[in-house]
Amino acid sequence: MVNYRKRLLAGTVAVAMAGALAACGGSGSNPGGSSTQSATAGGTLQYYIYAPFEHTDPQRSYLGVEMTNFSRTVYRSLVAFPISTDPKVSNTPVPDLATDTGTSSEGGKVWKFTLKDGVKWEDGKPVTCEDFKYGASRVFATDVITGGPNYLLSYLDIPTDAKTGLPAYDGPYKGDGQALFDKAITCDGNTITYNFKKPWPDFPLAVAGLHMMDPYRQDKDQGAKSNYQIFSNGPYMIKGGGAMWNKNKGALFVRNPNYDAKTDSTDIRKALPDEINFTVGQTPETIYDRLIADNGDDQYAVTSSRVPPAYYTQIQGAVADRSVLVKSPYVDYLVPNFRNMPDPKVREALKVATNATAWINAGGGEKAYGPAESIVNPAVVGYQANPAFSGPQEGDPAAAKKLLEEAGVKMPYPITFTYPTSDTADKQAAALKETWDSAGFDVTLDGLGDTYYDVIQKPTKDSDVIWGGWGADWPSAITVTPPLFDSRPNLTADSDGQDYGAYKSDKFNALVDQAQAATNLDDQTKALQEADKVLGEDTAYIPLEVANFYWLHGSKVTGYMNTPSSSSYVDLGPIGVEN
Amino acid sequence: MTVQASNLQSEQMPDSTGGSGGDAAKVAGQSPTKLAIGRFRHDKLSMISFVVVVVYMLAALAAPFLVKFGVLDPTTFHQNLTDPSTGGIPYGKLGGVSWHHPLGVEPATGRDVLSRLWYGVTFSLAIALSATMISIVVGAVLGIISGFSGGWIDSIIGRFIDLTLSFPVTLMLLALSAIGIQMVANVLPGTFSDPLPNGAYVVLVLGIFGWPGIARIIRGQVLTVREREFVDAAVLFGASKYRIYFKEILPNLWAPLLVTFTLTMPAYISAEAALSYLGVGIHPPTPTLGNILKGSINYSQADFFFFFTPAFLIMIIVVSFNLLGDGIRDALDPKTAR
Repeated sequence: MVNYRKRLLAGTVAVAMAGALAACGGSGSNPGGSSTQSATAGGTLQYYIYAPFEHTDPQRSYLGVEMTNFSRTVYRSLVAFPISTDPKVSNTPVPDLATDTGTSSEGGKVWKFTLKDGVKWEDGKPVTCEDFKYGASRVFATDVITGGPNYLLSYLDIPTDAKTGLPAYDGPYKGDGQALFDKAITCDGNTITYNFKKPWPDFPLAVAGLHMMDPYRQDKDQGAKSNYQIFSNGPYMIKGGGAMWNKNKGALFVRNPNYDAKTDSTDIRKALPDEINFTVGQTPETIYDRLIADNGDDQYAVTSSRVPPAYYTQIQGAVADRSVLVKSPYVDYLVPNFRNMPDPKVREALKVATNATAWINAGGGEKAYGPAESIVNPAVVGYQANPAFSGPQEGDPAAAKKLLEEAGVKMPYPITFTYPTSDTADKQAAALKETWDSAGFDVTLDGLGDTYYDVIQKPTKDSDVIWGGWGADWPSAITVTPPLFDSRPNLTADSDGQDYGAYKSDKFNALVDQAQAATNLDDQTKALQEADKVLGEDTAYIPLEVANFYWLHGSKVTGYMNTPSSSSYVDLGPIGVEN
Repeated sequence: MTVQASNLQSEQMPDSTGGSGGDAAKVAGQSPTKLAIGRFRHDKLSMISFVVVVVYMLAALAAPFLVKFGVLDPTTFHQNLTDPSTGGIPYGKLGGVSWHHPLGVEPATGRDVLSRLWYGVTFSLAIALSATMISIVVGAVLGIISGFSGGWIDSIIGRFIDLTLSFPVTLMLLALSAIGIQMVANVLPGTFSDPLPNGAYVVLVLGIFGWPGIARIIRGQVLTVREREFVDAAVLFGASKYRIYFKEILPNLWAPLLVTFTLTMPAYISAEAALSYLGVGIHPPTPTLGNILKGSINYSQADFFFFFTPAFLIMIIVVSFNLLGDGIRDALDPKTAR
């Protein structure tokens, strides 16, 4: 499948689950996901990517794999998650560009950070407080800076424009309301102060988990043209300086001469390889043919593609020693497009006829997936199975057909199912199509190639049912349903944001406000559970399964780890290669 | 190819009067066509390949009806026949061969392999046949015009042939596929992912890039024929250009056209398979030999029979067409036989 949107998974359950998987997952899986070999400096790490990244701009980046890779190599933040397979350690931010993990006041509405001295960009200029302010301001240019997380739009203390429902500041390119923004984020020498309109007690987690609060150099900003630009303040940079990531080829990361390791910590970044070579475009099957054969450069390779189900039987013996099977933080789900499916009975029929078991089996079975009864991952604090999804996992086409007849719509009811294509995904989609067709739908499969999120975020799309995959942005349930279904920061004229189905519910939005204003975790959890119930009643989503991650790496790779802070992808912090 | 001794008298090129000498009354003279058929019939290999090709065509024609009446079932999932703990490998030997599923089932989905292959033959044949027809019609027309007109028309068409031949077809096809398929989808019924626009795109590109080879062959044939005495005779008698094209030259081209047709078909069947592997062409779940093979390549280690069956089927079809084409060519012109 395509790369997943965001992050992370709370609690100690992760280790227990990974451990359980090690017991039943067959040969070679390691608890917590690490192959232990002592890490060494030097050499070139190869990183194979299948589906192209759609953004490398820090304020637009939202894929778990992008964000973790860039965190460890080119984009430093005020605070960052350290390298550890222990979820408690991994989920506690440590200082990165700031001197400590920030001070909050006024019940979490005001946050202050003091910046470290001596940190430089790749061109030698220092990282300043103004850079942090400018980076945050770009989030508000919602017509240009699309695709990234938009928490700042609802949290920063800027009044809302009654007409648009969005903040009264529209970004640094247009500049309306700049004075309001300058009051909300202030720079005093080396100290930056953020003022929020709601309490944000876990703000440092958001800073560490996402790149929306990263500094950005104003003189390097070309707006939409900066989409694939990487301007680094980390241990690596793209060869050439201020250079572009090539969407279909990748990039070669070399050491950044202006990086001072003394301003950093090896708890966050060890930066062992001299070079990291990202290559885009090989299919997962080709990548794994190479990794299994383990010849030449492939011995120094890792990948963000998971083992294709057709290759499971080849992961035996010595190959299995290089493999890792971990539970991922992601839940796969479907959203009906509310613009095309306004009738709740039709959406309910769709839900009833969804055969999640067939989807799971077509995708590789129990090694690849576990069942899901909510869009929230079971390991997130406050998880509760959603009663709307307690029906049979194989679906009930007869009951669904009845619902469609009751709805009085023309049958077979035509729908288009949009999803990211791959050999496995095509079979999974066909599995859903089969049961939906027998329930009275007429399904057209629309598998998208190299551009997925840009397409499904367009308000003008034709899709009726859309695939999505989501993990919590930082260890809290408040980062699952609100960013996906709160219409206010998501639905703009140019983009549906993360609310691909254009779901809009005042009842849900009110519960989100209640959760965000809650003064303690229990009240927040209760409000979020209520909110999930509302989503179930409206059939705003249909959960499919919880994904497992099955990885292989080259034999000469050292320090290989899949950590909670890397969203269970390979963590580039501790990685090295033999040389 | 062996040549029967009794047919040696048919060494002459066919001409418009037919007959190769001998009184109609005493020695039943045979037309060159009859002689060719006779030669063909006696060549065992050609006959076998002819039978295979006919069976293939009939199977391709029959499949849609068999699917409609439920005899073949290429879409129903039988996941209970696959093992979820191994990533979906079918239970049982040879990829799940059983009385219900004579060629086994597809991994992870459990779909019947025989049904999918049989139905896939129809789509592959449809694409190959359409593309061949386009190439042959365009190639023959331009070849005849070029061969007979000579002069600057011949030169222009000749350069056009060279230009088209120099295009890297596969690369262009891949690079332009997204735009091309969208353009085709705007004209035909169906959306971007539907079988019809994708199949039509493949047909168009194969057809458009395949005509130059055929044009050259036909042009060469025309040049030979027009030097013949009977054409001179027709010209002396004052025959119109129209009559010469259609009554003198065209009837003598059917032989090379038939051979070219039979040899182009397997090239396009292979091309469709190759293009499916590269991602261009009809997408699953609609089966074609190419996209079935694409999905099965990954299982070459885990479920070898599932990989072997479509590969073997494609091989049989391509080889049969090639042998048939060779056999026809040898039957029509024994001088090329060895």
